[in-house]
Amino acid sequence: MITQRRPQLRVASLLLVPAVMAALVSPATRIAAHSPDPALGGDTFAQDARLLYDWRSGATPPAAMRTAINAAAADVGETRASRAATFAYDANGGNPIGYGTGTCGVNGLACFTRDAPDGFTMWFREHGRVFDWGTLKWCQMYTDPPNGCYDVETIALDEFGHVEGLGHHVNYSDDSDYTDAVVQTYSRTKPKDGYNMHVLGVCDVAQLQIRYDIPGASSKYSTCLDVATVMTLSRSAASVVYGGNVTFTATLKVVTDTAYGRLSGNPVSGRAVRLQRRPPGTTTWTNFATMTATSPTGSYVVSSRLYSSAEFRAVFSTPTNEGLRGDGSPAVAVTVGSCTTAPCPLSTGR
Amino acid sequence: MPCRSASRRTVVAVVATTIIVVGCGPAITPPSPTPPSATSSAPSPTATPPPSIAGRDAPPDAVLAAEGGDAVTGQLGTYVWFGTGSDSPWLTGAPLTVGSGEPLSLKVVPEGRIATWEVRDVPAAAGGPEEARTIAKGTGVPAFEAPGPGLWTVEVTVDFDGGAGRAAYFWHLKVE
Repeated sequence: MITQRRPQLRVASLLLVPAVMAALVSPATRIAAHSPDPALGGDTFAQDARLLYDWRSGATPPAAMRTAINAAAADVGETRASRAATFAYDANGGNPIGYGTGTCGVNGLACFTRDAPDGFTMWFREHGRVFDWGTLKWCQMYTDPPNGCYDVETIALDEFGHVEGLGHHVNYSDDSDYTDAVVQTYSRTKPKDGYNMHVLGVCDVAQLQIRYDIPGASSKYSTCLDVATVMTLSRSAASVVYGGNVTFTATLKVVTDTAYGRLSGNPVSGRAVRLQRRPPGTTTWTNFATMTATSPTGSYVVSSRLYSSAEFRAVFSTPTNEGLRGDGSPAVAVTVGSCTTAPCPLSTGR
Repeated sequence: MPCRSASRRTVVAVVATTIIVVGCGPAITPPSPTPPSATSSAPSPTATPPPSIAGRDAPPDAVLAAEGGDAVTGQLGTYVWFGTGSDSPWLTGAPLTVGSGEPLSLKVVPEGRIATWEVRDVPAAAGGPEEARTIAKGTGVPAFEAPGPGLWTVEVTVDFDGGAGRAAYFWHLKVE
């Protein structure tokens, strides 16, 4: 069946795609652009696992490439924004990285094997190898790298991403989102934009966060995600005397959904949460107080003396700097008694 | 982490008592994946493939043919296949001569079931994917029509059934 390109889908609905795409028949199930990198099959490594590699005996990369590979390993640790595994060189590391002829298929620049949670291997083709497609040039092998060379650090970062469990990012048709991922089907050569990316892209990080979780409840969610949240609100009393004190407690969490992987049900702390109120029987909400985050459990609290009955709700607005979707809690009512001790206001106020 | 097209917001400060210390996780015992020998053609798989493709250490070959014509095996480019993967450049493709608009179909050999597929083409002189356009996509057996007269690089990306992997194959079409 031949079909035309379908409209892109929202990220939230795409999180299920790697798991269900094989079972569905509509071409619309194909992974759309600018979603998190697809997940490779197989297990993940332990959260925050420290994977040690060494150089394969008899196939040690040249010094310039070793330096770049080590830099890529550091890039993972610095930009993973998740609890994905980290990588470090150790003379007895046991996860070998090799260099030279052989492996990686007929046309490959570099390749990997992953056997999570136990380990991995990696291989880089030798500088100067003549393929059908041209001569392999590694930029780091030159004092003045020529156009058309591949940046070793970028390619190694791509391979480390695969080892973590990332598949190739699916770009927009015009590749305008190319730099949102370093794990690419086609790595670029100097001087094309993105040829020397030394950080994981937001869509690489998105899948790492799904598979490994974020570092903590106040950590930012990748902007390549669109994760729904759920807000709840409770109060210390449903009715109080005039001027009585009421404590409101809101809880903000990621919606429980298997599509969110390890993010499902996460408490969300450190965000801006507002308490809003409206008089009973009305529809317009007004800001009443800012709620304070009290713990990494996603709780936000504010206490206030009340002088009139009202309904309240807690609101988390969709932020522009991370991939969370805002939510508002259901309304809760607090009934306030009449003023019995002078001085009383002519009309009920706060 | 870059946050494209995002403006900064002030976030209420919070004391997080749970701090995840980067890099303090347990060290992993060295693995025992099959070491790639210097002469093997691809990394060894680490997952158990379904019986229909058992024993393969890379995606199956793909052959493209016009109706009644000889099938030509495509060049295998970038792929992931169970626990392995290889990154390749955009390839020039295996030569195949066809007629303009001629129906073409793809088979994987010796066997393998395709979940979804996409075909892109670009003038052969382009030498890269930047100008590539999608000319067909679908599910099941890939089938599409040859482009107009000229020299083209055609890339067929295949997602294999059951999550086995994904692979790109290339042909250099001389369209008459």
